[in-house]
Amino acid sequence: MNQTLVSYLSQYEFYDILLGLFGMNAGLLAFTIYLLFTLAIVGLCATIGGLGTYAERKISADIQQRVGPNRVGPYGILQFLADGVKMITKEDVMPFTADKFLFYLAPMLALIGVFATLAVLPWSSGFMMADLNVGIFYLIAISSLVGVSVFLGGYASNSKWSMLGGLRGASQIISYEIPVTISVLSITLLAGGMSFGTILSHQQGTPINWFLFHNPFAFVAFFVYFVGALAETNRAPFDLPEAESELVSGYHTEYTGMRFGFFALAEYIEVFVVCGVGAALFLGGGNLPFDVSIDIIPLQLVQVTVFLAKALLLYYVVIWVRWTFPRLRVDQLMSICWKYLTPIAIFNLVGNAVWMVMFNGKSVADLMFGGH
Amino acid sequence: MFAQLLFLMSALLTVGCAIAVTVTKNIMHSCIFLLGSLIGVAGLYATLGADFVAVTQIMVYVGGIVILMLFAVMLTGGKDFVSRAQNLLGLAPAMGNKWTYATGLFVATVFLLTNISLMMNISQAYPAKNFGSEFPSTVSAIGKLLVKEHVLAFELSSVLLLGALVGAAIIARPRKQ
Amino acid sequence: MMGLTSYLVISLILFVTGLVVMLSRKNIVAILLGIELILNAAALNFVAYSRYVTGNLDGHIFSLFIIVVAAAEAAVGLAIVIRFFQIKETIHIDEATQLRN
Repeated sequence: MNQTLVSYLSQYEFYDILLGLFGMNAGLLAFTIYLLFTLAIVGLCATIGGLGTYAERKISADIQQRVGPNRVGPYGILQFLADGVKMITKEDVMPFTADKFLFYLAPMLALIGVFATLAVLPWSSGFMMADLNVGIFYLIAISSLVGVSVFLGGYASNSKWSMLGGLRGASQIISYEIPVTISVLSITLLAGGMSFGTILSHQQGTPINWFLFHNPFAFVAFFVYFVGALAETNRAPFDLPEAESELVSGYHTEYTGMRFGFFALAEYIEVFVVCGVGAALFLGGGNLPFDVSIDIIPLQLVQVTVFLAKALLLYYVVIWVRWTFPRLRVDQLMSICWKYLTPIAIFNLVGNAVWMVMFNGKSVADLMFGGH
Repeated sequence: MFAQLLFLMSALLTVGCAIAVTVTKNIMHSCIFLLGSLIGVAGLYATLGADFVAVTQIMVYVGGIVILMLFAVMLTGGKDFVSRAQNLLGLAPAMGNKWTYATGLFVATVFLLTNISLMMNISQAYPAKNFGSEFPSTVSAIGKLLVKEHVLAFELSSVLLLGALVGAAIIARPRKQ
Repeated sequence: MMGLTSYLVISLILFVTGLVVMLSRKNIVAILLGIELILNAAALNFVAYSRYVTGNLDGHIFSLFIIVVAAAEAAVGLAIVIRFFQIKETIHIDEATQLRN
């Protein structure tokens, strides 16, 4: 039984009023609700992605004791709009020897792969587009479209820098998918299900009941997940695909205007999605610390705020890491993935399984304070 | 309504991209059309209520096999990206003379007639049922089947994957001439 | 519209296109593309029969194993292609006439 946004909203009274407005046509109403919610989420995420570029500059300026963008709007917060306008009005240049079809396709694939993940992102216990029972698996699967797009962007530009960046990007993304997936697998083991609803309902608002502190193995799994996610989204210190010092700009060297904007937007939104998934899997998502017996819309909005706060905190850490650590070499990158992260992740998975059997699925908090 | 819409879109994507794989001369484009076709097949799985298989399809093919194919094309392609086979109509990259095409046409006709007669029987024996829009979750059922009834095949497939991994690494490693 | 027959027709088209790709191309990677299409046609048939005829999940299990075998086949096949290219400097199937160099 997949719970969806519509099936969640249908328990309220105003759903029946809306249904009356739509002439009892449930299909049309469902379509309208999905459409509106999709527009809202895509708009919100595009704003978060845009503000991400601003946050990146401002935080980096803060770390390096500079001022950062401060001309457009109060504290320069409208800088991303100015950048967007600049990118849209720029000339759309395509290299003469580029593969036209793939050159046009690659940025689209990046955006499709990222926006498709938003369908299962759990904003709160009720506000998720579709609580698929393969939710997290779907998210990992569909986001690998970004890897294809990075590769194609690098190939289609027909330039040496792009080619090297694309090859590095694709190999990095498919390598780091393994530790990330195995870490996520250990959380599905703890929750007993792959849907975000199941995973969230097995955690509570207080930090001691998060999966992060469920057992020592889950604690390590979070860091494996986070490092792997940094590499999967091509963030520093794993930003070898676009290493400025060696490859100019990597796989999107030849892209200009809004096509480059698509790549940048996809990257920033993907970072947000990855942080949101980390918040939902390990940090309790939008769960509130007190027991909520009544289920009303304002409480859901509070949950959304809590979720956003956790996700954006992780987002800050991602940017902080970028401006703190130097970039890795390619061989170091691969040896970290295959010699360290993957064995640790597999060990964690086995450890979680053993823990679940030995302590009957109880967390550390349950054992210490004699919980349920 | 949603299921039928999904079915139509997936079917069109699958069939269109499969045909495009056949007629495209550029092997790189063929790989991308293959990707579209495989995603379409995943959509068809979803309309059949096979959610786990659908997502596994996307996971393995998009994240693994298609990227591998693209890597292989790039590592081996060079100037041979575009097929330059001689053909009759100048459309699909297919080689052969008129006898090849005649034989192919004959075989295709026989194949098609056999299939049509088979499918007539099937469509009479199993008329279209209306399942409604309820799709029960298959994840836990598949999990139980995999570790109970099909556990031997499950373990064998893991050995197969390990063998393939090691074998591929050994075969493709650079050797000193 | 969403009967068993329509899935079988789609599967037939996939199979035929895969066969045509396998037979008509001389590029080894393209032949592997054709094999993937054929394997997908078979897996789609299994799932369709599983829903419309048997009603249990054995067809799903079978198509999962088909996907696993396809992954293994692609990995080994492409490794062989790359090794072949290292030796012969081409991936034309007609050049593959020797079992050892």
